[in-house]
Amino acid sequence: MQRNQRGDENASLDALLQAYRDACPAPDPSANFMPEVWRRIEERQRSIFYMARWARGFATAAAVLSLAMAAWLYIPHGRTSVFYVESYVEAISAGHSSDSPDLAEPIVDEL
Amino acid sequence: MLVDFELIKRAQTGDNAAFNQIVLAYRKRTLGTIARLISRPEDVEDVGQEVFMRLYFSLDQLRTAEVFEPWLYRLTVNAAYDYLRKHRRRMESRMSDLSEQQVVMADAAAGGRVDKDFRRRAQVRETVDALLSAVPEADRILLTLKEVEGLSLKELEKVYRVNENALKVRLFRARQRVLKAFANAGGEAQGKGTARAGN
Repeated sequence: MQRNQRGDENASLDALLQAYRDACPAPDPSANFMPEVWRRIEERQRSIFYMARWARGFATAAAVLSLAMAAWLYIPHGRTSVFYVESYVEAISAGHSSDSPDLAEPIVDEL
Repeated sequence: MLVDFELIKRAQTGDNAAFNQIVLAYRKRTLGTIARLISRPEDVEDVGQEVFMRLYFSLDQLRTAEVFEPWLYRLTVNAAYDYLRKHRRRMESRMSDLSEQQVVMADAAAGGRVDKDFRRRAQVRETVDALLSAVPEADRILLTLKEVEGLSLKELEKVYRVNENALKVRLFRARQRVLKAFANAGGEAQGKGTARAGN
């Protein structure tokens, strides 16, 4: 009984959906449809073009800036102090002169 | 298929005349699908233009002829989703207002021009739109493609890129929800009435 009712409902729903399809015919496109499609395409192409140009400009500026920074870091400047010229090992050995084997005192065996 | 693959290939190489022919061949069908998916006649053309604009920019990704139509459906569904997402808030705020259809009907009725067929169609549209609103947006679109547009499961599989079983489950659940809403709304009698009127 319940199954029959479900079957009826299914059939009614199918009929309703079919009627809906008939009640919603495809609308006729207006005369402005194609020109508007092309206007959108051209607008998008323009924005892609400007975006690409901006991206290229940005990449070039970033590359130039990187090169400039690299040059600034590697080219020696006039006011370079001794501190920057010394290597790490030199700086350590200068700070601990008593560690030098030349200056180490001989071990005295007091036995 | 409404166009041959050669035409698509020409459009892929940048032949605008070939692209125009594709649009001319498919625009009516696409507009019909959109009309049933978004239920706002005044915005159908706008969404249709968006679909063909997307088609233009993604045409070069197409490799085989047999996927063209499912792929166009996919673009249509995605554009409809985007439209519905964008306009959801606006539509909610306009729920209390009369729909454009109702305004047209009221105008026509006032002028004594409304005919029986027009009234019946408007009633069917309103009934089905109300029933389909019982299911989530994604399921509503799937159900519309299957039951109203008449796409087969195989075609839907290509559109959604999911397996047939997953689609069957989703469709079954969506249909059950619509059936429940249909029964609750006492739609059976209405449905029989409209079906009878349709015959």
